[in-house]
Amino acid sequence: MRKFLVLALGVALVAGFALSLGGCASREEVVEEPIIEPEIQEETSALTGEDIPLTEQPEDIIYVETHQFEDIHFEFDKYAIRPVDEGVLSSVARWLEENDEIRLLIEGHCDERGTNEYNMALGEQRALSARRFLVSLGVDAARIGTISYGEERPLDPRSDEDAWAKNRRAHFVVSE
Amino acid sequence: MGSRNARQYVLPIIAAVLAVVAAERAPAPEVYLSISKGFGEKIIVAVPLFEAEGAGTVGADDVRDVMSFDLGHSGYFSVVENTAFVDENEAADRATGEIDFAEWLALGAEVLVKGTMEAGVSEFSLEAEVYDLAQGQSIFARRYSGEAARWREAAHRLADDIVRRLTGEAGVATTSIAFVSNATGAKEIYVMDYDGENRRRITRDNTIATYPDWFPDGRRIVYTMYRGSRQELHAVNISTGETGVLTEFPGLNAFPAVSPRGNEMLAALSRDGNTEIYRLRADGTDPRRLTYGRSTESSPCWSPDGRRVAFVSDRSGTPQIYVMSAAGGRAERLTYQGGNNTSPDWSPNGDLVAFTSRVDGVYQICTVDVETREVVRLTTGGGSKEDPSWAPDGRHIVYSKRQGGKTDLYMLDILDLQPIRLTDGSGDYTSPSWSGRPEGA
Repeated sequence: MRKFLVLALGVALVAGFALSLGGCASREEVVEEPIIEPEIQEETSALTGEDIPLTEQPEDIIYVETHQFEDIHFEFDKYAIRPVDEGVLSSVARWLEENDEIRLLIEGHCDERGTNEYNMALGEQRALSARRFLVSLGVDAARIGTISYGEERPLDPRSDEDAWAKNRRAHFVVSE
Repeated sequence: MGSRNARQYVLPIIAAVLAVVAAERAPAPEVYLSISKGFGEKIIVAVPLFEAEGAGTVGADDVRDVMSFDLGHSGYFSVVENTAFVDENEAADRATGEIDFAEWLALGAEVLVKGTMEAGVSEFSLEAEVYDLAQGQSIFARRYSGEAARWREAAHRLADDIVRRLTGEAGVATTSIAFVSNATGAKEIYVMDYDGENRRRITRDNTIATYPDWFPDGRRIVYTMYRGSRQELHAVNISTGETGVLTEFPGLNAFPAVSPRGNEMLAALSRDGNTEIYRLRADGTDPRRLTYGRSTESSPCWSPDGRRVAFVSDRSGTPQIYVMSAAGGRAERLTYQGGNNTSPDWSPNGDLVAFTSRVDGVYQICTVDVETREVVRLTTGGGSKEDPSWAPDGRHIVYSKRQGGKTDLYMLDILDLQPIRLTDGSGDYTSPSWSGRPEGA
């Protein structure tokens, strides 16, 4: 009989406790916390690998169009190298290996959306991204320079998805 | 032209000026307190045409237009709009040689600005007296003179003096805005008066020049330009047009921001292989890296006390505004709403940072409180608005708006949020930078 009473008391206590907990939850006010986004490093928002310092190029260097290499392209607001562009980068690396006196300048460009200032930084990141990829393929970093034109020099001046996709590019020019 | 009336009128003014000059040598209250207003209430001011003499081309209407714009947009005054009644009252006053205060009060005015101007071929002067209509007395009188070509400056200085005398606040009528225009076919740096007038080209680089920023002495502007295959920071002397190279690091040399004391600058450079914030001497030497990490840092600006820096970083995955010590180190995030917050500019009052935020796909100008992180949106509607720059009064902001294939500069008062277009809609006007106050102002 006593065991039963103790058990009943225990159950009652637990039940009472559970009920009171439930009661607290329903009386609590909902407090709005500000949404603090976690410090995530998405792969496409950071240059992969280590920083590779840029090198001073000769004062009198002149770069010219080569018409040999297609532009590589980027997703909106991103500067990661797309897998589909790795082929172009490989052929750039191979050509530079065969022509080891020549220096490369990578121009980074953006489409017109986005603020002018942010596009200048984004263009530079695109050029640096392509440079890192080439260095990872064995090209001497000292031979590769970067310049950003932001949204200043669109290839296609129109304002549609096609034009924008063309303008989000890295373009290759070579020393004379 | 009633020259006899002019003489009758000018003599009392000269006497008043002499009296005021003498009075100003004795200790006198700077701010006229009898017309004090609650927050947001405007002082109603009547500006009749000044009595004009001289063979030059500047007319009384021109001067009134400048005065009305300056006082009306200062944020403290409301200018009586019915110029027909205003000019009638003025004519009556000139006929009698006396100010009929009751008639002016009947128009709803509280303050009256009367003046004479002499617009010569080579010189310009104006003498003005400002009256408290309820008290029926003069508040102050002053004379401004100079080269004929600088007549606007005389009117702007009078407007700022009226603002200062009646409110204790410093106006912005004598300030300037630097900006980029492609009017010549190449992007060059230009300067204009804050009201959009007196636009003049400063650089002749015939390339792409952009991101102008003023040195605090107002004599030079630093900017980014392209020379051959390089991007460089140059400084240009506004009066002489002389330029000099400040930096020519490989890669990015962008977003120069001169420190409040003028001896240093910030810039975004990519010389170490990533786009980061650097602090340099104002002559471009001694770069010190302030930010690290795999993310992109750009668009730096100084706090007004020169101790902190606000900048853009994508370390969270999207571009946001951060604040750190001007010595570098840990950065605190300021913006949490939206996925694209860029282009910060720190208010001269130190409490707010203006920036561009993409809201529902449209770029708008917002402010964020540095302490509380509270965000206020200043602009609405369509058109891509970017690059806010604060006026030295911490109240007005200039920004660019791109719409329909053209970009224009607009200014707004953060307390009334009515955008005023400053440029003429003929092309692309971008990258505005509001000057400080001219020396002595």
